[in-house]
Order: sequence, then C-alpha cells, then structure tokens
Amino acid sequence: MRYEHITDAIGDTPLVRIAPEVHGLRHIDLYAKLEMLNPFGSVKDRAAWRMARPHLEDARRHGRTVVELSSGNTAKALAVIAGVHGLPFRSVTNRMKVPEIKDLLLLLGAEIEELPGQAECLDPTATEDPLTRIHRMLTEDDGRYLHTDQYYNPANAEAHASGTGPEIIKDLGGTAPDWFVACVGTAGSSTGAARALRAHDPDIRVVGLVAQKGDFVPGIRDIDEVHEVGLFDPETYDALEAVSADEAIDGMLTLVRRCGILGGPTGGAAYFGAVRHLRERDAELARAGDGRRGTAVFIVCDRVESYMSYVRQRRPELLRRPPRPNSPATVTPRELAEVRSVGVEEARAWIAAERPLVVDLRGSFAFEALHIEGSVNIVDELFEELLHGGPPFGRSQPVLLVCPVGEKSATYAALLARMGHRDVRSLAGGVIAWRDAGAPMVRD
Amino acid sequence: MSEPLYLAPRLEPRLASLLDSPAFLHPLVTALGSPLNLVLPDQIADNVRAFRAVYARHRLGGRVLYAHKANRSSALLRRLAATGPAAAVGVDVASLGELQHALGAGLTPDRIVATGPKDPDYLWLAARTGVTVAVDSPAELTSLARLVERFGLPRVPVLPRLSDFAAPGTRVLTRRSRFGTPAADAGPLLDLVEKHGDSVDLTGVSYHLDTMGLAEKAAALDGCLRVLDEARRRGLRPRCVDVGGGFGVDYLADGAQWERYTTELTRALLGRRPPLTWEGHGYGLRGENGTLRGTLSVYPAHRPVAGPRYLDELLAQTAPSLGRPLATLLLENLYDLHTEPGRALTDQCGLTLARVLEVRVTAAGERLVRLAANARDIGLEDHGLLLDPVLVPAAPRPEGNGGPPAGSGVAAGSGDAAGSGAGAGVGVYLLGNLCLESDLITRRLVHLAHEPRPGDLLAFANTAGYFMDFTADHALHQPIARKVAVHREGDTGPWSWCLDEQYWPHLTAGDDA
Repeated sequence: MRYEHITDAIGDTPLVRIAPEVHGLRHIDLYAKLEMLNPFGSVKDRAAWRMARPHLEDARRHGRTVVELSSGNTAKALAVIAGVHGLPFRSVTNRMKVPEIKDLLLLLGAEIEELPGQAECLDPTATEDPLTRIHRMLTEDDGRYLHTDQYYNPANAEAHASGTGPEIIKDLGGTAPDWFVACVGTAGSSTGAARALRAHDPDIRVVGLVAQKGDFVPGIRDIDEVHEVGLFDPETYDALEAVSADEAIDGMLTLVRRCGILGGPTGGAAYFGAVRHLRERDAELARAGDGRRGTAVFIVCDRVESYMSYVRQRRPELLRRPPRPNSPATVTPRELAEVRSVGVEEARAWIAAERPLVVDLRGSFAFEALHIEGSVNIVDELFEELLHGGPPFGRSQPVLLVCPVGEKSATYAALLARMGHRDVRSLAGGVIAWRDAGAPMVRD
Repeated sequence: MSEPLYLAPRLEPRLASLLDSPAFLHPLVTALGSPLNLVLPDQIADNVRAFRAVYARHRLGGRVLYAHKANRSSALLRRLAATGPAAAVGVDVASLGELQHALGAGLTPDRIVATGPKDPDYLWLAARTGVTVAVDSPAELTSLARLVERFGLPRVPVLPRLSDFAAPGTRVLTRRSRFGTPAADAGPLLDLVEKHGDSVDLTGVSYHLDTMGLAEKAAALDGCLRVLDEARRRGLRPRCVDVGGGFGVDYLADGAQWERYTTELTRALLGRRPPLTWEGHGYGLRGENGTLRGTLSVYPAHRPVAGPRYLDELLAQTAPSLGRPLATLLLENLYDLHTEPGRALTDQCGLTLARVLEVRVTAAGERLVRLAANARDIGLEDHGLLLDPVLVPAAPRPEGNGGPPAGSGVAAGSGDAAGSGAGAGVGVYLLGNLCLESDLITRRLVHLAHEPRPGDLLAFANTAGYFMDFTADHALHQPIARKVAVHREGDTGPWSWCLDEQYWPHLTAGDDA
C-alpha cells in the first residue's frame, strides 16, 4: 500500500467480525466497521475531507480560515487537513467535554473558542443563542472563513453514501447487511451509509443510537438534540434507541478487552446498542427455526486513547492501580495521634535554637508569595512521590513540616516517623496559625 | 389525550409542612388578600449553615453574603443579622435603599458589601458607614477616594470587581458584562489603589459572572489570584476573594419529569404532538422544516448540582493556569472566600399564594383558571421557571388536599372535557388579573391533580428568590401582595405569623447568633 498523500489513506477501513462467543447472538453475524483506523483516527476523516477538499485551493489563495462548530473528531480531522494545506483552523464549540481532545487540537495548531455557559439570570431580551449567532456570522461573512458546516452540509452524508456504505456491501460479498447500527451525532454517517445500503436492499433496517437524556456519550446527541441537526431526518431510522454513558463504557470494555478493537465509548455505545437491539431479533430467528442467518454491521467511530479522563471520571475503578508504599492514605489514626505537633511559639523557639529544615508543602505560587524565612518548598504532590522511594533527607535531620492548616503536614510527619525519622514535627494550625499569631513571613 | 406532564416542585420538610396546613393558609389569605407572600426566616439560617459546611470541608474562612436583591423581605434580612458567627455571615447590597435596609436590620457595616451601579448618595452612605465597597471601575474608585478625602472619613475597605478573564489553552467566550474592570487592566487599577492609599484599603478582589459554567468561574478565580499576588508584590495586604454567586437552585422534585417535559415540548414544536403552551409558545425554540432552531431559554429547573454543591464543585476545580484545586490555592495563599448566593440562600424560604376566582372552558376545550394575582406578582415567566403550583383546596377533596408531591399527583380528576382525560388530572392555563392578553402566570399548560374551584388556593412554592416581589408593581391599581413571615416552635409546633415588617429575630431565632 503506497500513497502519495496521507489523505489518500482515508476510507477503505476494515470490516471485522465479532466472535459469537463474545456477543452471544447465535443466528446473526455481527461486524464492526473500524472507522477508528482512518488516518486521523475517526469516522469524521471522511466527512472532513469531503467537505473541505473542493474549497482548499480557493481558501489558500484568499487566506481563509477553516471554521467548524465541533467538539472533537471533526475538528481534529479538519485541523490536520487545514494544517497540511497551510490554512489556519478555528473550532467554536460549547460541547468540548473531553480534555485530551482539547489538548490534541491545540497541539495540532487549532484555535478553540468555547461558548459561555448558560446565564444564571434569564435575559428575556436575548433572543438568539450563541450558536445561532455564530452560525449567522459565519454564513454572512464569506470573505474570511471557509465554514465546513458539518450539521447542514450534504457533503458530510455523501462521504458515507459514496464510501462507507458501498465498502460495507463490497466486504459482505456484494450484499447489504440486514441491520445497520450507528450512533447519531451529526447524523452524517448514519444518513449517508443508510442511503447507500437502502439503495442496494430496501429491506435493510437502520438503528440510530442516541445518548440517554442528561447523560454524556462523546459524539452522540440526545433524543432532543438530534432535532437541532439539519442532516437529521427521523425517516432514516427504523428505530431510535438511547444508550447511557455506563452502557457505552461497558460496550467499550468488551471491544477493547475481548475483541482487541481499541475503540472509544462511542464505538462501545454502538456495540452495546447493536447487541441489545439484536438479541430479540436473534430470538425470532431461533423461533423461526428455518436455519436463516442475519448479518449486522455497526460503526466503531474512534479510538479509546483520548477518553481516559472520561473513564476515570465515570468508572475510576477500571483504572485502579496497586497501592504504593508509604502513601498518605495508609496512615492510621494511631500514627497520626503520635505525631509531634508544635504550636507557633514552640516552633519559632525550635527554629531559632536548632535550625531544623522547614519544609513548606504548599503550591509554589503560594510559597513564592509568602513563606517562613529559610523554609524550602516541596509541593505536597511531589513530596508524596518522593516518599514512595524513601525519606528525601537524613533520618537524624530535624524537620518541621508546614501546610495551610496543619493536616497534611501531620499526615506526612506520621509517614516519616514510620519510616524511622527521628525528629519530625508538624506545625499545628499551619501557615494560617502562623500568620494569625503575627509571626513574620517573607517574600524573598 | 396523552399523560399529564407534571413539573412538581421540590419541597423540603419545612415548606412541605406549611403547604400541608390549609387551615392555617386559608384564613391568612382571607385576612390579608390575594396574592399573599410567605417567607420562612428560619430556613435561610439553615441554608447559611449548608454553605458554611462547604467552607468547613475545604477548611476555608470568609463570609457567606446574602445578595439582598433576591427578595425585599425584612424578616429574611433580620434573621440573617441574627445568624452567626458574625464573621461568617453578611449581606451584599446593590442600592442605597438596600444599604439602608441592611443597616436598619441590624447588620453592622463590617458585614456589608456594597455592589452594583452606585450614585453619589449610595457611595457617600457606604463610605460614611464604612461598609466594604465592591468598586466597579477606576472612575468609581477615584470618586470614592475623593469622597473620603473631602469629608475626612476613615479608610474605606474596597474589593474591586474584575471581569474579562483570559484562560490559557482555549479561548472561553465569556458573555460580555457591563460590570467590573477587565483583569488585563488590573495594573493601572492597583496604581490607583496605591495612589489613594490613605483613603481606600484593598481587602481583596471580586468577580461575578452571569453563567452556570464552572470552567468560566474557575478561570475568573484563577485570574483573581494572580491579581492579588500582584497586589501583595506591591506591598498591599489583600485577604479575600469574593466569587459572587450564581450557584443556582434545584426547583423540581423529580428529574425524570423535567426530561420528559422538555422532550415533549420539542415534539410539540416540531408538530409531532398537540401544543403544550399557550398559542404554541416555544420558550426560545422553534421548528423549521422539521429541524429545531433556537435554544430553550428557560431556567434549568432540574439542577442536581446547585447551591452548596455547586460551590463545592467550583472549589474542587483545578485552576487553569495555577494548576492546583481552587480551594487549595485559596487556603495556601491565606485568602478568605466570600460568596454572594442570592437565589440559593433563599431556597425553600418562601411561597406565594393566589386565590382561584374563576374556572371556564373555551369553545376549543381549553380550561382557563383565573387567579387573583398576576405575572408580576409571581415572576415565573419573567425568569423562565417552569414549575407547577400546588393546589390548596378550600374544602377537602375525597383523596386529600390535592397537593401533589412528585409523581403522586395522578388522581381521579373531575375534568372530562378536552385537555383532561378521566383519571389523569386536568390541564389548565393560569390567567392573571390584569387586563392584558399577555398576563398569563405561566404560558405552559399546567396539569393539576384536581380541577380547581373558585375559593381554592394555588400555592407557588419556592418563590423567595426573585419570583416573589422582584417585578411586583401597582399595575392597573391591582394591590401588591402583602408579605408575612411564618415560623413555628421546633419542627412540629403550630405555625405562627406576623407581617414581614413586624418580624424580629427574638420571636424565633435559636441560639445560633
């Protein structure tokens, strides 16, 4: 496979069979269309390329900026395409909820504008929402922007009508599947692919998956939000079903752990929704008992790597790590009770007499502003890291630990004592008590 | 006819118990007229405690300041004056009248912050009494300093209000505000503070953004910390950050009702079901060729993360440029936290009663209920709050009092015309008492468990924050609602009342002063 340009690698993605022992359907063959293997990592590469390609030359000549309302994959693909064609890219969004994608977009050179949150006090004079306003700004100003307009641009759906759909038919040996399952975001992939599949076989059934209301599955809209999309037409779908974030993660786990398909939560939602929908159809085929088999295809739209914080937030137990030694969480109440906490006056006397090492555990910004003279700053996060390996100073070196209110310092003092440190003390009441007692602090 | 779409109010025990006391409520309306506003001063003290618990969890000091503009009540203000500790509870006033009211309610100047647009009278009284002034602009700072110099007043504590914060990484398009000094202009502002050092004492900085977005507020707090650091570098001694309010209230008992209602509203606007609103009003949404346009501009009545929980989440946010949790940064930098919850402090603190005057059915089968109150008395529409009233019948119905808590409102209704299915409650439009087509208490078709009868009361729960008297006036010579304070001994004693202006905390306040 040799290509002249990375965009030539868009499309022709593999169709991979899911093992029956994984999905448990006995009369239906289930296939995953791996859109995650597009060069920029998602199903959106097709639409982005299709929407942008005809206008790139003109845009470059006139120095236009590529603009899209996108929270993720479309922005990612457009940022790359714009970048390699020497054009700036700007994304305007109010839905950027996945921090890794935000960082990736910045890395790709995109400019991101996030829309403000909803006003707490209703302003009855505000007749237009920000999205509508920006939309109008973009369509009226045709001099500076190349607006790809994914929610209304027919090229979005056409990319799938001429690519994704026919590829599925080709890989199934010239037949359309009995069921096609796709998550609905811009509705581009489901609308376009469904059009091609229906043209080939009008009996195909199309299942659209939406997010459970009030739940967030990346790239999917909920049952109300789909109506805001120009490409969405309820007639496309034989069924519209909702998938929760939890179910999407369950489906994703099956794909990544049991199928070796490293898809993200949206692909997980598609898998989960597909199996759930097909279970009943599978039972019908079993009851018919005529040996007939069905075929179903779902779309895995992007990769898992960008969704670690999404998983951490919703299912932290999936990312659990073995406990590390000398962790603050292991300090017992008894160890804590044995810590030598010293008040401000005692601490000042001790510092004057014996010059202990004073370790301030606060953040560097706060330390920089004001601290006890002669103290050193080891931020608590870093201190915790250091302790996993052992005490960061000699066991006989007298140490006074200082934090804002004397809680964290007591915990770390207990840990150091457990590790055999001979004279570690904690400043009772912390820097706040120090300040309130009128003891001097410096900014040096 | 499809099922009724209820939006039942969330009722905490004190308010629920009051609503369940028709024998107390009916004579009150008979004596004082309809509409009638009730406030529950003891509740606001409980709400302060809930915010204090968040402060305690993060080990933070500082004041919870009640934003007075949420309600004109004297009782609520006086109860706050009796709520302690004094170092932790105060009031944020936004006009000369509110400042006078707060001082007269027993709040000492150290517990008051003067915000909002200020005229010279307001500024003078603030300076004269020594309350903290949240200065809006360099010009206001200069005017204040001149006043102090001219009248030989003591140094006035100031808390400049900042706006237009830049966050690293992505550009957050914050809604423009007409208040505050852009954070980028903090340098010249601090120059002014230094120049007028004998007249003003910078005790901290403040912001208030009209948004529910946590990220925007986190960026603002982050920006404030940077400005405060600059102030310290110059030798000033700031001690606090005031993060304003906008923490919100969760108004509904059942989130599923809200989800269902908004979905059905969408369907109605796309023509897929009968209208849910008077003349097909869309609350900002409209259907165009099968696509939904616009944005639902209503208050998100179901808000699980609201009030103290919202503050908790804000404090747990990581500061975008400084990289540590905001609460940790405040603590480490030895700053107190001031908050100004208005609406959230009045959660469950009041209700508005209106008498049913007439029930009539139009030729089209719509059921219209006319109330002795108007949309200015009960500002639900003005502030976009979609919330059902609770029916307090004059005579008992067979099933009970008809006040439907979440999900329990489905009972055999007497209605049988279009708009009400047998056994599925009754759908009504609530008309006000003004001679104006626009005077609907809410433009929603409201479902009630029973058809109201003349003489019944409709109780609008949880109206103390902005819905009670923010817009009330004497239009068409209709009387403005009277306001009474209600209280009881313990959790079970009989309810007592007095006129709002007659309430003083010694009547009820416990030992929390």
